Amino acid sequence: MAVTDLPTPPKRETAFGVRMRRWRDLLKTLLSNPTTFIGFLIIFLLLAMAIFAPFLAPPNVPDPYQMPRDWGATRMPPGTPGFPLGTTNQGGDVLYGVIWGSRTSLQLSVIVVSVTVVIGIAIGSIAGLVGGWIDETLMRIVDVFLSIPELIFALAVAAILGPSFTNIILSLCIVFWVKYARIMRAQIILIRQADYVQAARVIGDTKLSIFFKDMLPNASTPIAVQATLDMGNIVLVGATLSFIGLAESGIAEWGVLVSEGQAGIASGRWWASTFPGLMIFLWALAFNLVGDGLRDALDPRTEDKR
Amino acid sequence: MTSNLEGTEPPVIAEVRDLRVHFGSKRGRVHAVDGVGFQIRDGEMLGLVGETGCGKSVTGRAFLNLIPQPPAIIAGGEVLFRPRGGAACPACAGSGCHACGQTGGETLDLLKLPQDRMRQIRGARIAMIFQDPGKALNPTLTIGVQMAEVFLQHKSDELLQDAGISADDRNLAANALRRIAHQEDRWLDRRLKRFPPLRQAAGRIQQALDARVAAALAETQIANPLRVMRAYPHELSGGMRQRVMIAQALACDPDLIIADEPTTALDVTIQARILELIKTLQERHRTAVLYISHDLSLVRKVCDRVAVMYAGRVAEVGTVSDVFSNPRHPYTQGLLAAVPRAGARRGHLASIPGSVPELVNPTPGCRFADRCSQVMPACTQLDPVLGSVGEGHSVACFLEHPPHAGAAKIEKALTE
Amino acid sequence: MQLRDYIIRRLLILPILIFGVSVIVFTLTRIGGSPIGVYLSHEMNAEEVAALEERFHLNEPLYTQYWYWLKAALSGDFGYSGVASAPVAEVFWPKFAATMELSIFSAAVAVTLGLWLGVFAGTRRNKWQDHVTRVVAVSGASLPLFWFGIILLIVFWANLGWFPVGRSNAEIWASIAHPTGFYIVDSILAGSWQGLVDALWHLTLPAITLGFGAVAIITRMMRSALVEELQQDYVDAARAKGLPERLVLNRHAKRNALVPTVTVIGLTIAFLMQGAIAAEIIYRWPGLGRWMASAVVRGDQATIMTYVLFTSVLFLFANLIVDIIYAKLDPRVRLGD
Repeated sequence: MAVTDLPTPPKRETAFGVRMRRWRDLLKTLLSNPTTFIGFLIIFLLLAMAIFAPFLAPPNVPDPYQMPRDWGATRMPPGTPGFPLGTTNQGGDVLYGVIWGSRTSLQLSVIVVSVTVVIGIAIGSIAGLVGGWIDETLMRIVDVFLSIPELIFALAVAAILGPSFTNIILSLCIVFWVKYARIMRAQIILIRQADYVQAARVIGDTKLSIFFKDMLPNASTPIAVQATLDMGNIVLVGATLSFIGLAESGIAEWGVLVSEGQAGIASGRWWASTFPGLMIFLWALAFNLVGDGLRDALDPRTEDKR
Repeated sequence: MTSNLEGTEPPVIAEVRDLRVHFGSKRGRVHAVDGVGFQIRDGEMLGLVGETGCGKSVTGRAFLNLIPQPPAIIAGGEVLFRPRGGAACPACAGSGCHACGQTGGETLDLLKLPQDRMRQIRGARIAMIFQDPGKALNPTLTIGVQMAEVFLQHKSDELLQDAGISADDRNLAANALRRIAHQEDRWLDRRLKRFPPLRQAAGRIQQALDARVAAALAETQIANPLRVMRAYPHELSGGMRQRVMIAQALACDPDLIIADEPTTALDVTIQARILELIKTLQERHRTAVLYISHDLSLVRKVCDRVAVMYAGRVAEVGTVSDVFSNPRHPYTQGLLAAVPRAGARRGHLASIPGSVPELVNPTPGCRFADRCSQVMPACTQLDPVLGSVGEGHSVACFLEHPPHAGAAKIEKALTE
Repeated sequence: MQLRDYIIRRLLILPILIFGVSVIVFTLTRIGGSPIGVYLSHEMNAEEVAALEERFHLNEPLYTQYWYWLKAALSGDFGYSGVASAPVAEVFWPKFAATMELSIFSAAVAVTLGLWLGVFAGTRRNKWQDHVTRVVAVSGASLPLFWFGIILLIVFWANLGWFPVGRSNAEIWASIAHPTGFYIVDSILAGSWQGLVDALWHLTLPAITLGFGAVAIITRMMRSALVEELQQDYVDAARAKGLPERLVLNRHAKRNALVPTVTVIGLTIAFLMQGAIAAEIIYRWPGLGRWMASAVVRGDQATIMTYVLFTSVLFLFANLIVDIIYAKLDPRVRLGD
């Protein structure tokens, strides 16, 4: 519809160049959306906090992921010199927990998301590419996994493996791959019928090169959206598990801290639960905002019509 | 096509005057419809042709006041409508005067009508056939239910009469039935409906309703209306769905039908039959039709007169024979030349160079100036207005009506 | 009719899925170690332990063990709960009633409120009411339920003292009979106003805690679905028939927007069952969730197994109902495979 000047003769763009340009465009659309921008900002601040944790709060020796205990300063309210956010019943510095908890959460979410994405892609690809009874079996297993509510499943697995933070990570890895397998399989089946894949087959591309050149890049969009949402969701679920009591007590983790602070609220000590919980909220909120923005930017259907 | 040979022309039933519809966008106001004006005479089929995005659909929707605001802004103009058998003209009390076009009927400005008056006109006096019947029918309701809505909305009193409930009955049961027939039923009414004596009466209303729906469907040559009534839209073919839409539009015997590209979404093989059906029914009911299309050959086949739109304005209006045999606007000429014909030189398809201008904050001047082969200096400075070039044939082009000195000022004063 | 076939087809898959879940759950518990741990004590000698192992078929292959477990489970024997110091089946029902009362109450409020808010925001698109609703909905979906509950507790219990903790006032609870185990129902049956007020008063905070996330999810879905439906041609077609806006919205747009929303409501059931664990811990609600939480920490396998199996069956049935509603709302679904 637009009257445009004659386009300058197009420079030959490499495939890499095209991809880079698309990423730049995507980032521009994302940042122009105010809520997505706020999400990015919060993520940036939380990551900075995790990276610079040793400078913000001197690490506890020997294990920095263990809360330091100052038995001489228990139940201090926020604003106490040396303890800006107060201390817990056991003399744990809430600020320390808040700062180092971001590292714990980052570990948790990065490990679980990368492991589940890999497992999910692998299983989904096998099901989608091989087909037949293997596909059928794998998908029935997926159905069974989806019949158990995620958190309850993870809770049971972690309980049977024994209470520890490592086992929480492990149990989340066992539970959360299912969605990716579904997405991957659906994408492969969808793409397999697409014209350009048929074309690639006609010109003699091998199955493997079609998979890596066409199928994987195309499935990456919905997987990226899901992974972004899961970055927040997994911290939420993981913190719930440790709140219930499946992590070692005394580690610098937000869910554990909320649980530790719970004992004091009857006597008015609100701070020990409030601040770590707020961090979980911000973490989940940020990734949800970015995930939503990403979905809107990548899905042409949600754009306004007319 | 031969209206001017018959002596007296039929009265004007609807008229668009200087309609301006803008859309707010990130880059500024899009002047999608920018001063459109034309008349529709009673019982005629007027074709409104133009390229995609020229504003013809928005103009059509203006007749039903169905332009979504926001994003659209109605920046000015009138859409006038004189329903047949409406109230008397307030100026001359029905004797016929200039204000009512000698019809004696009341003239309504559809854009300024209150919502409830507009609802009485929609579906009853002015109906619409949509482009894609697959999208214009609700996928979760049966055809019967959707068709019934029109009758319940506009013919509920007749339905009650058919079911033997007189308007004087004021008891509890009759009131409940009246509410059901007017689609104002409350929770209790729906419960009561299941028990005697209301059940029998409600059943009679339903029977009367079904009979009307079936008759309306049968009129569009649907073979077994009862089966179609029970079907969901996705169970019917595209042509069948469009027949349903046409039946729905004709249900209350309206004065004017807006047909927005009614055959575009259909298979080529069915297009001709649907077109023929619309034409037949239009002639039988003497309904005026505004036929919106981008397809010149269709318009030529079925319409009496044609208005050619370009970039939010009317470029040329006239009878189909005048416009097609003697096009006066360079855009119309270009359009006609671009229609491929059998027997023409092979391997070459004519086209108009350039593309439709962007309608964001347009500058004064003819919208077609950029693409016109006969552009003059005046074309880029002044807006040409429609002027007569023959009986019932008008063109907005300086080739026909050279601008006189000072025209720019006069026109500005007129538009403001 | 087509709808009936659809339901039957869905019903047939159900036992297969339940069987699958039970296999997974059983395998998990056996990975975790011996199920006789709760019966063992230090005074037992080797023979007594061996007798116990014999009794629980521990020296037989895993599939035989599964068979024995299944047989027992089908006859209502779900093992012995170490946490409750009683057989699982015995303590299950009173706790089940407590959890169900909380969940059903929250679900009812959440679905009603969520749908209403979704329509409220969707019909006021891009107005300030819409923006406020969206912000609340997005934060609601990111809110850690256990933390939200604690914040409510800090404000309304610890500081303001407006709401109590626990399920009931012990005296009032003891004053009426409990034939159903549902406190609200029981107090209505007993004609006790005091009991009803007490029940609702105790229910308020846990229900808000549990329902808030669900409201957020449902609101978001209903809003976006309604916004999308309102842009469809059939909505304009309904207006073009002369229908009043009330019918355009209720009969056409809302009905279609419900189709995708109903699926999300199914997922919300899982959300509520998961959330019940944290909510019950925080408010000391004597239900299944709190029982599960202590079982998890102490490795009480019989309880964990029963709980997982039970919630899955509940979840599957909830989804079945959702699917039926879905098929009823959208006739196109019934055609599929």
